[in-house]
Amino acid sequence: MYSYHGTIRVLVQVLWAHLLCGWTFGSELTFELPDNAKQCFYEDITIGTKCTLEFQVVTGGHYDVDCRLEDADGTVLYKEMKKQYDSFTFTAAKNGTYKFCFSNEFSTFTHKTVYFDFQVGEDPPLFPNENRVTALTQMESACVSIHEALKSVIDYQTHFRLREAQGRSRAEDLNTRVAFWSIGEAFILLVVSISQVVLLRSFFSDRKTTTTRVGS
Amino acid sequence: MMLTAPGAGIIILFAWLSPSNALYFHIGETEKKCFIEEIPDETMVIGKYRTQLWDKQMGSFLQATPGLGMHVEIKDPDTKIILSRQYGSDGRFTFTSHTPGEHQICLHSNSTKMALFAGGKLRVHLDIQVGEHTNNYPEIAAKDKLTELQLRARQLLDQVEQIQKEQNYQQYREERFRMTSESTNQHVLWWSIAQTLILIVTGIWQLKHLKSFFEAKKLV
Repeated sequence: MYSYHGTIRVLVQVLWAHLLCGWTFGSELTFELPDNAKQCFYEDITIGTKCTLEFQVVTGGHYDVDCRLEDADGTVLYKEMKKQYDSFTFTAAKNGTYKFCFSNEFSTFTHKTVYFDFQVGEDPPLFPNENRVTALTQMESACVSIHEALKSVIDYQTHFRLREAQGRSRAEDLNTRVAFWSIGEAFILLVVSISQVVLLRSFFSDRKTTTTRVGS
Repeated sequence: MMLTAPGAGIIILFAWLSPSNALYFHIGETEKKCFIEEIPDETMVIGKYRTQLWDKQMGSFLQATPGLGMHVEIKDPDTKIILSRQYGSDGRFTFTSHTPGEHQICLHSNSTKMALFAGGKLRVHLDIQVGEHTNNYPEIAAKDKLTELQLRARQLLDQVEQIQKEQNYQQYREERFRMTSESTNQHVLWWSIAQTLILIVTGIWQLKHLKSFFEAKKLV
């Protein structure tokens, strides 16, 4: 008797585990895109799934990148050139492999660091037997709303972290640039003023006899 | 309803399996792909990957290839290597950060048979989970025997802890940013003064020198 109930329970949980593997989680990655390079990512999506692609250039050059999103048949769903940050939501109209590419081919020597977040579908539920029809108790629904709020807090934190990384990278670039250029300029100043004097002296040393002759 | 031991065992087994529907990309034979994770300290990161080799004859990707390995190298923010290991064609690597900052996860293939790569393409499915996403809640529920509400509370606590760590890290980074800005400010201030002084001094020296030169040459 126990074994029958136990087996059914195990079977349900195994089925749920299969479902869990079927739930596609969100992928969030930061990678470096060298100059004149293109990097593509692919994902298999089932029809009707709501997906969001969000990207941001963290460091490098003018902080822009080309992005292109194609569906399973190659139809371009989203295409933007030299964008710094964008977010695109779509519902999958076809089954198949969707492809999105980031291109830095317009840049000759700056490599960029790109962050992207590709959310496919919903996050998996916490419990195996939870179906949306059964009502949650007040405590449970409070927990669910707190969970959603905290997820958006984490999302804002990520965006803030990226903006801060961008600002900090610009500030560090500025600092090194100011240091080098100041030293360089001081050196050039000295060199130019000394060479001016030397050059002027050389003019007068050679033409001393000619000027006196002209004078008299 | 609490999870039974064999059920939990099977779920844990599935959780360990490599991602079947994760994001994938193509990598060349000697190509090294690096990903950056900027994380606070004491944060756990779990990475799972699965590789598929392009079969020229069949014109598709094979399911699994023996003899094909991926070398995983992880560097901490001080560019010190914290993990450098060879895994098989499917692998799972995990590490916990001890210093906050940018960690770099690099993958490159290390195939023993060069002929395998004649087609030139290797498909890598990758899934990297950071912080509270690494927690396996069904496993925790089974291990600590928690009720539904307790498990939900545990999830919220983990999330809040992650937020707190990120805020601490943010404070540390903001301080670095402020130090960089103040250093730039100091540079600009002192170098401007120095350059103005050099300008004035060299101007005076030029005039004095030329005046004495012309007087010597009897032109003035």
